[in-house]
Amino acid sequence: MIYDVNTYIGHWPFRQLRNNTAEGLVKKMDEAGISVACVSSVHSIFYKDTQEGNMELVKEIAPYQNRFLPFAIINPTYPAWKNDFLTGIQKMNMKGLELYPYYHQYNLTCPESVELVRLAGELGLPVHLPCAVVNMRQRHWMDTQENLDYGQVERLLSLCPDTDVIITNGPSDIIAQKLQKVTRERKGKVFYDFARVEVYPIRGAKTNFQGLVAAAGVDRIVFGSCMPFQYLEPQLIRLNEMGFEKDDLEKILFKNMTYIIDKESANVL
Amino acid sequence: MFLKEQMKLFEQNKVVNWHEHVRGDRSGQLDVEQCDLLVESAQKAHMDVLVVSRPISGGSPTPDEFRTNNNVVAAAMKRHPGIIQGMAFVNPGFKKEALAEIDRCVNELGMVGIKLYNQYFISDPVLRPIIEKCIELDIPILEHAGKLNLVPNPQPTISDGTHFAKAAKEYPEGIFIEAHIGGGGDWQWSLKAIADHPNVYTDISGSVYDEGIIEQTVHYLGANRTLFGTDGSFSQSIGKLLGANISQQDKITILNNPAFARYLERGRKG
Repeated sequence: MIYDVNTYIGHWPFRQLRNNTAEGLVKKMDEAGISVACVSSVHSIFYKDTQEGNMELVKEIAPYQNRFLPFAIINPTYPAWKNDFLTGIQKMNMKGLELYPYYHQYNLTCPESVELVRLAGELGLPVHLPCAVVNMRQRHWMDTQENLDYGQVERLLSLCPDTDVIITNGPSDIIAQKLQKVTRERKGKVFYDFARVEVYPIRGAKTNFQGLVAAAGVDRIVFGSCMPFQYLEPQLIRLNEMGFEKDDLEKILFKNMTYIIDKESANVL
Repeated sequence: MFLKEQMKLFEQNKVVNWHEHVRGDRSGQLDVEQCDLLVESAQKAHMDVLVVSRPISGGSPTPDEFRTNNNVVAAAMKRHPGIIQGMAFVNPGFKKEALAEIDRCVNELGMVGIKLYNQYFISDPVLRPIIEKCIELDIPILEHAGKLNLVPNPQPTISDGTHFAKAAKEYPEGIFIEAHIGGGGDWQWSLKAIADHPNVYTDISGSVYDEGIIEQTVHYLGANRTLFGTDGSFSQSIGKLLGANISQQDKITILNNPAFARYLERGRKG
């Protein structure tokens, strides 16, 4: 059993994607043994009104409700952001919040962003912060040239100490090391995926993955595929090569994620 | 264990990794620990041959610097004979020394090709004598590559597919490898640019494992112009090949491209 914290549905404006529908994603999930996936709308990243994409997402996944946990993408600098977020949670069964400051062009520590992230924490909802959607080196000339700013994340974590945060699709070992101090000082937990973390010791005796484990602990590592943007197989190879016994492997595969799901279920449902 | 069935592809077929690197230590000698870890990891992943180089990525390396780095590669070849094969790094800006170094590395040290970095576009006239030397020796040219849409471009003279196409047209007898299609920016750009030039190959290495990259590489170039490589990204490179929706035969061809077998054989004899 695998819980996946990072998937998308929708069209990417800069490259054709396959399996980017609910049906296509479920097919890939079944092939890999992924039971449940957190999912968000690619369209919400690009629509001026993110809520339109959130509504499309909820409609798209309706036939597969037991397979997906929809995350609402909200731009806290756009009018009615709070109403959209609460509507998403209370009426659309959204299970988390996802932010793209490098697309929506705001600082994570601006007052509205801090208020939104605190609100998510008060509701027991995790906040997903993808470091990027695609690797910047291959960006389309109209695409963003920014990634998640780890300095802003560090300050946000300090300003919103009760909110659980999931950071994906970036150099998690480096980020976890940078955030180690602030993470220790807060109540909310910070989880990381390993989508860009090498497990083979080809550059030195200590691997990037071992660096992630040392900085974050195995209780804070989760599985994120970034489907349908990326092949799933590199993540499965990493799982093989981590060298973990069953208990730790199960934490990464689904148990750590269960904490997030159970926590928000108790508070919201 | 995940992918148990799929990993048989690597277990049951010869795997040649055409893009890896060894390092030097502070004294300029082979970093033995890193070299051994690399070989150990490769063997664990069922790779049979590692073709390695040690390029210098910044500035304009001097002949002394590239000779020192090639000696590191030669030391790795000696430490792991039969597993590690080498490619010689040169700076084409030093024409006389670069040509002599290619001779030394190929004819004396048994290296199987040359590796160029981003000091010049591969289509730059400065490279003509280097390319002609490689044609004379019948060895491939692997050059660092990528179509970066970053402003400002951190590598202003990095070659992309259009530069390879130009060089390939000028030298149809040359054998060019556009490095790391999975680590070189807009891979669709490069694939489309080199598609019609049969003497341009690519390796699949790099940390990018976009869904569809291998299928499109095979679509535009064919498996027979595609080489397996990792360039420091083992899990990504193995995974993207396993995950690709192409035929098993195409995957086997990529893992041990028969068009390049003669270079390895000659290197072993050397």
